[in-house]
Amino acid sequence: MHKESEIRDPLILGNKSYHDITKDIAFPVEGKANKYWWILFSLSLVLFLWGVVSMAYTIGTGIGAWGLNKTVNWAWDITNFVWWIGIGHAGTLISAVLLLFRQKWRMSINRSAEAMTIFGVAQAALFPLIHMGRPWLAYYVFPIPNQFGSLWVNFNSPLLWDVFAISTYFSVSVVFWYIGLIPDFAMLRDRMSAKTAPLKKQLYSFLSFGWSGKAKHWQRFEEVSLVLAGLATPLVFSVHSIVSMDFATSIIPGWHTTIFPPYFVLGALFSGFAMVETLLIIMRKVVNMEAYITIKHIEYMNIIILLTGSLVGTAYITELFMSWYSGVEFEQYAFLNRATGPYWWAYAIMMTCNVLTPQLYWFSSIRKSFIATFILSIFVNIGMWFERFVIIVTSLHRDYLPSAWTMFSPTFIDIGIYLGTIGFFFVLFLLYARTFPVIAQAELKSIVKSSGSEYKNKK
Amino acid sequence: MSKNTLYGIFDCELVLLAAVKEVRANKIEIKEVYSPFPIHGLDKALGLKETRMAITAFIYGCIGLSLAALMIYNIMIIDWPQNIGGKPNFTFYHNMPAFIPIMFECTVLFAAHLMSITYLIRNGLYPGAASDCPDPRTTDDKFLMEIEVEGDLAALKAMLTKNGATEINEKDA
Amino acid sequence: MTKAKKYWKGLAELNNDPIVDKLKQNEFVEEIPVDKFLGDSDISSTSTSRRDFLKFLGFSTAAATLAACETPVNKAIPYVIKPEEVTPGVANFYATTMYDGHDYASILVKTREGRPIKIEPNKTGTNARIQASVLSLYDSSRLKNPMKLGVKSDWNTVDADITAELEKISADGGNIAFLTATILSPSTKQLIADFSSKYKNVRHVQMDAVSSHGTLEANETSFGVRALPMFRFDKAAVIVSFGADFIGNWGHPNNEKDYALGRNPNDGKMSKHYQVESSLSLTGSNADERIQIKPSEQAGLLSNLLNALNGGDADIRIAKMAADLSKNPGNSIVVCGSNDTKIQILVNAINDKLGNYENTITLSAPSYLKQGNDNDVAQLITDMNDGNIAALITYNVNPSYSLKNAAGYNSGLEKVSLTISTSLYNDESASKMMYVCPDNHYLESWGDAIPTHGEYTFMQPTISPLFNGRQFQESMMSWMGESDYHTYLQNYYSFADWNQSVHDGYFTSNDGKMNPKSFAATIPSFDLSKSEAIEFEMTEKISMGDGSQSNNPWLQELPDPLSRACWDNYLTISASTAGDLGITNWNISNGALNGSMVNVTVNGTTLNNVPVMIQPGQANSTVALAVGYGRTAAGKCGNDIGFNAFSLGNGDAIIEVVDGEYEFAAVQLHHTMMGRDIVKETTLADFIVDPTSGNHKTLYATHDGPKTGDKVSLWDEFDHSTGHFWNMSIDLTLCTGCAACVISCHAENNVPVVGKEEIRKSRDMHWLRIDRYFSSDMTKELSAEEKISAIDMYAEMEDPSGNPETVYQPVMCQHCNHAPCETVCPVAATSHGAEGQNHMAYNRCVGTRYCANNCPYKVRRFNWFQYSDNDKFDFNMNDDYGKMVLNPDVVVRSRGVVEKCSMCIQQIQAIKLDAKNTGRTVRDEDAQTACSSACSTNAIVFGDVNDNSHQIQGLKKDSRSYQLLDHLNVDPSVFYQTKIRNKA
Repeated sequence: MHKESEIRDPLILGNKSYHDITKDIAFPVEGKANKYWWILFSLSLVLFLWGVVSMAYTIGTGIGAWGLNKTVNWAWDITNFVWWIGIGHAGTLISAVLLLFRQKWRMSINRSAEAMTIFGVAQAALFPLIHMGRPWLAYYVFPIPNQFGSLWVNFNSPLLWDVFAISTYFSVSVVFWYIGLIPDFAMLRDRMSAKTAPLKKQLYSFLSFGWSGKAKHWQRFEEVSLVLAGLATPLVFSVHSIVSMDFATSIIPGWHTTIFPPYFVLGALFSGFAMVETLLIIMRKVVNMEAYITIKHIEYMNIIILLTGSLVGTAYITELFMSWYSGVEFEQYAFLNRATGPYWWAYAIMMTCNVLTPQLYWFSSIRKSFIATFILSIFVNIGMWFERFVIIVTSLHRDYLPSAWTMFSPTFIDIGIYLGTIGFFFVLFLLYARTFPVIAQAELKSIVKSSGSEYKNKK
Repeated sequence: MSKNTLYGIFDCELVLLAAVKEVRANKIEIKEVYSPFPIHGLDKALGLKETRMAITAFIYGCIGLSLAALMIYNIMIIDWPQNIGGKPNFTFYHNMPAFIPIMFECTVLFAAHLMSITYLIRNGLYPGAASDCPDPRTTDDKFLMEIEVEGDLAALKAMLTKNGATEINEKDA
Repeated sequence: MTKAKKYWKGLAELNNDPIVDKLKQNEFVEEIPVDKFLGDSDISSTSTSRRDFLKFLGFSTAAATLAACETPVNKAIPYVIKPEEVTPGVANFYATTMYDGHDYASILVKTREGRPIKIEPNKTGTNARIQASVLSLYDSSRLKNPMKLGVKSDWNTVDADITAELEKISADGGNIAFLTATILSPSTKQLIADFSSKYKNVRHVQMDAVSSHGTLEANETSFGVRALPMFRFDKAAVIVSFGADFIGNWGHPNNEKDYALGRNPNDGKMSKHYQVESSLSLTGSNADERIQIKPSEQAGLLSNLLNALNGGDADIRIAKMAADLSKNPGNSIVVCGSNDTKIQILVNAINDKLGNYENTITLSAPSYLKQGNDNDVAQLITDMNDGNIAALITYNVNPSYSLKNAAGYNSGLEKVSLTISTSLYNDESASKMMYVCPDNHYLESWGDAIPTHGEYTFMQPTISPLFNGRQFQESMMSWMGESDYHTYLQNYYSFADWNQSVHDGYFTSNDGKMNPKSFAATIPSFDLSKSEAIEFEMTEKISMGDGSQSNNPWLQELPDPLSRACWDNYLTISASTAGDLGITNWNISNGALNGSMVNVTVNGTTLNNVPVMIQPGQANSTVALAVGYGRTAAGKCGNDIGFNAFSLGNGDAIIEVVDGEYEFAAVQLHHTMMGRDIVKETTLADFIVDPTSGNHKTLYATHDGPKTGDKVSLWDEFDHSTGHFWNMSIDLTLCTGCAACVISCHAENNVPVVGKEEIRKSRDMHWLRIDRYFSSDMTKELSAEEKISAIDMYAEMEDPSGNPETVYQPVMCQHCNHAPCETVCPVAATSHGAEGQNHMAYNRCVGTRYCANNCPYKVRRFNWFQYSDNDKFDFNMNDDYGKMVLNPDVVVRSRGVVEKCSMCIQQIQAIKLDAKNTGRTVRDEDAQTACSSACSTNAIVFGDVNDNSHQIQGLKKDSRSYQLLDHLNVDPSVFYQTKIRNKA
């Protein structure tokens, strides 16, 4: 039986009993949506539709609808791709890595964090698809001989590594998520009465795969969760490392950098946690989870953000130093141009949002404030988007031959697609919040006795 | 003589755990225990065997790795070796570094998915399967101990009550 | 099926007629041998046997198969009667002559299935306009019928009317005038003579849009020869040009080739080239030393130079030049672009003083490329206005557009009772004429020419006329009641071997040389004055020339070698003068270039809202505008582009900045090398001392001693030492930046035209581009001395000098043997060929553009849109006629795929097949790419380095050869030769 130091603050407030937890988790599913939910949902839906139109237009007319040119062949598309993938990482980290480290506080947030991962990765996966000149031939990237003869894919290409990494990451995340969901679906199933809500009852019995909570099943359940966590952990690090190799293995100054894999992974966790905070702070209000998502959780995450933020900052400095130390004029110019060239403002935004603002978390007052955290988490999200923009565009727009140097500016289609994915993401997330058990209640119940406020206060 | 099934229902996992130990100490066979969340030490108390999920995962991983290696070897070296960026296409060994990421991904892919499938099969879980739990409250806040007995029910009931069962139901087989 | 079945032999048997039984016994009647056929002897009571079954099965299957098999119908329309010389899929070459009144060249025309698709040089080199002229043939804006009073008509009517009119006029003794461009064709001149003998009072006036009247007059007075001298730039040790763009647009098309021949550093013999000019010309950009002057200073400096050669003291700017000249008497050339007779006499005097005549300059076999006489034209216009001209017939000219005094001409036109144009287009002039009898394109015509004394070249049709046009000579003949110019031409050349000459495209006659009298003229003298005003000067662009081809999308989209802008002409101005006037150029957020606009007034004529481009090399307080733009009736793609500089003429300019900004379309937005080692350069002096000067390879420390980058590799190399290994050498000393190769590549590889808007978005599709870099005042050395911070250094490096040194660097796919693009393609759409090319499989490309990102040379081009059959891109690929120019050997790329230079792999395949058919090994001299064959100076050499006989092998080993960005060790198959400048 798990014991916990009494000094630790309770992770569950309001003296919840097992039954209370059941009620609370089931509430958003059984109850009606409040007005916050509807406002957010309709807003996201509008954005999503704008995105759909923009994508349709792109596929209809050609990539020329974007602001790209002969020198800058990637810009917002891949920026968004990397950004979304990065966001996904926090979910896996919370559910897998923290599980391996036996971090109990993860239990109230891992379900939603994983949901975020899955929805985030889904957005990311869109971009490699639509950024293709001929998306209807996308199946060429799978190792199947093509109809013009036995043409195969090229396993040397980092883009192909991406294909495998992302599909693996996505599907494994889904499985991991679902294995954990089964007992909770069973809980919902058993609450539904066949009379009042026959449809829901059927739905959840279908989803719960006939779970009944036998001792042997629980034993396997724990082992499988542990192994999946063990697999997901290296996976999450590999995915962003591979994404970073799209750049690191190229020969473009500013891309060709060996520190990219760790640097990208850190950045990913950084932005991921920020997005988790953004979402949870909204969610705890929208579906009344204040008791389970406490300031304690937020503070823990803020500490991680402070850490990763500082590490990312170190990476930026290292990059600058290496470019100078390399003595290669192309490298030196690439970074000089980043900081002082036509895109200096993007670099400035990146530095401010990613390196400076997280330092505010040294103050516990800010660290322990929902409002401050919410604002700062938005800052971090913006900063990390600009990090990718800076890496991609400022490296490309002035590379080796000055004769080819040019600039990039987005079109409405670029913007539309980006906002569209944000809309899509929130549509998915809000639907999830109304139909899924947003907290891993089964797991949570197992710590009530040790981390619930009631028991803390008794002692 | 008829076989009866007793359902002892408990409110607290700790009480349940003690009860399980007690009952088994009295050489009484516990058929099954249903609980809303995993209870540490319960499997030991019930004397369940170690599960072998982890081992299957390892095997599946090895399969994934070798399949990936085979696929890449066949595609890049045997079927159509091409000069791609002047990189050597003569032997698998020479290009290996470029293939590691995908071989790794395939390993994880196979291990994770096949293990999960095995898990579902072994538990007899599949979309739409019906739960065989005798009492729906066990997914909420109750813990249920299922005992199959012949003969003296009263004694057993008494023991369960003594050990903190809040409620005892019986079902004729 | 059982054979126990009973077959009645008719109703009779059915009705059991006894006779049947009798017949049955009858020996004549045979049983039908069904059983034999079924191979079953005993027929009684057997059901179908296995073998029968198989038989039936076999039969029915066969039957079914036969029924099913229907040969697919291919709707290819074959020749009804195949011309014996045309083999589908095999190209034919015809020798002919290109002349459109402005450009002349002796060329080979490549035809496929009877369609001319490509121009190759023959006796002369080709420039961009000549290369592009094949597209003008397929211009659907050409006149498709004769016109009468602006409405479509037919030849009979038109001829009848004209002949009647002409007879009436000659009866009344009215004057008939031919206003033509310079006529190179002796037979045509003969025809005009015939014409004038039939209709009396015929006057023939020749005019050149860009006139050389001054030179012709000067030679008349000085030597009694009214012709242009031929220059031997290859023989001259010192070349001095006062504003003559002899590499680009001035003089004979072979000047460029000769110039290059005289500048081969390897044998140490390299001419010294001074250029004295106000606006940067292609020639000036190639000069060893360039001196900026104002146009008004030209005459004074020439006088001063002559004076210096006579022992006087020279102006400081030209002292060095004068010294060099006097050191090389009889071995130098002084040319001048001016159209002023007095100045040209002065130039003649200088050359005569130097004894260059009949050494480096010859008038005994002069060039006849320009014969226009400005005085005659002026006289004609006066006469027209006085109503002394009854009939005017124009040929190859567009006076209403290209005359400074167009207004006078137009008003005169109204007083002429019969006006006939023979223009191919209903252009500015033709639209004002009563009759338009459209001429044929030169590729549809017979003809001849004497470009230079004693040399005849021939023009033969390579395709039957596309439209209902008729070549000028035919028209003239039909108005004389004759016909068949072809025979007329043949008869005219009775003295030559017709077939051979037409086959070769030329023949050299031994008719005696001219004998110019020795120089005798009063030498004018000018003093070194300089007007304070801003001076305006007309220039001529490589792409547009005099504007006769301005409806040619290839030429419109050809970036100017110096400004790198296309689809426009603009006032060029120096940075400092622009600063004084408050004129700026700037880049908007997507990099596109914008600039201020001005109203410019010259000689009383004003052009409003003219864009101004800051052009390094433009002398201070001078401005220039290229002719050939501002057409209003050129055709859908040439109309209303730019401004008509002809209407201004040279002179002092009044410039008034106006509000608003203009949008340029420039393909190169950055003009300096930023101190990078991209174009390696050294001076002749250093080169002679150290052949590797300017090209020292970096050594990298390895486990076995220091090695050059190309020797250091992670992997075992692929073996290219056997079979073919196609490489290309580009000599930066010989490359003049003339851009003929760019158009040649366009034509050969079906490169799409994307239009101004896309160019502004940096989406040009050129497979081959010519990078142009200007030197900057800021250098690494300087910043090191003056302790300037890197940030400031790079900032200042972005600005070119006021009078920069210019370098050109053609860049196409470098066909790297360690290609970064190949590695990153997820679908293996681009991979390396056994012969060293970097292949691109368009069918396989999904368009991730990763390759384009990872290309250090940025030569890969992405099809952002569907560029063919798309009304948004209404150029030749969206036009049924325009599409006829497409090369059937090269696929037209679809949207969403990446494309790039293939080293003209289709041509390599062709010569391989040819070699195979003729059973010999591939002759390396056959191997040419579009760019290498179009290169007049032989700067681009293509070949197989595994072929010991080929020069490319030597070039690859040459001390000057280097690979672009060699430190990346991508090991390109294309390599460059260090640029050598002949300066101390």
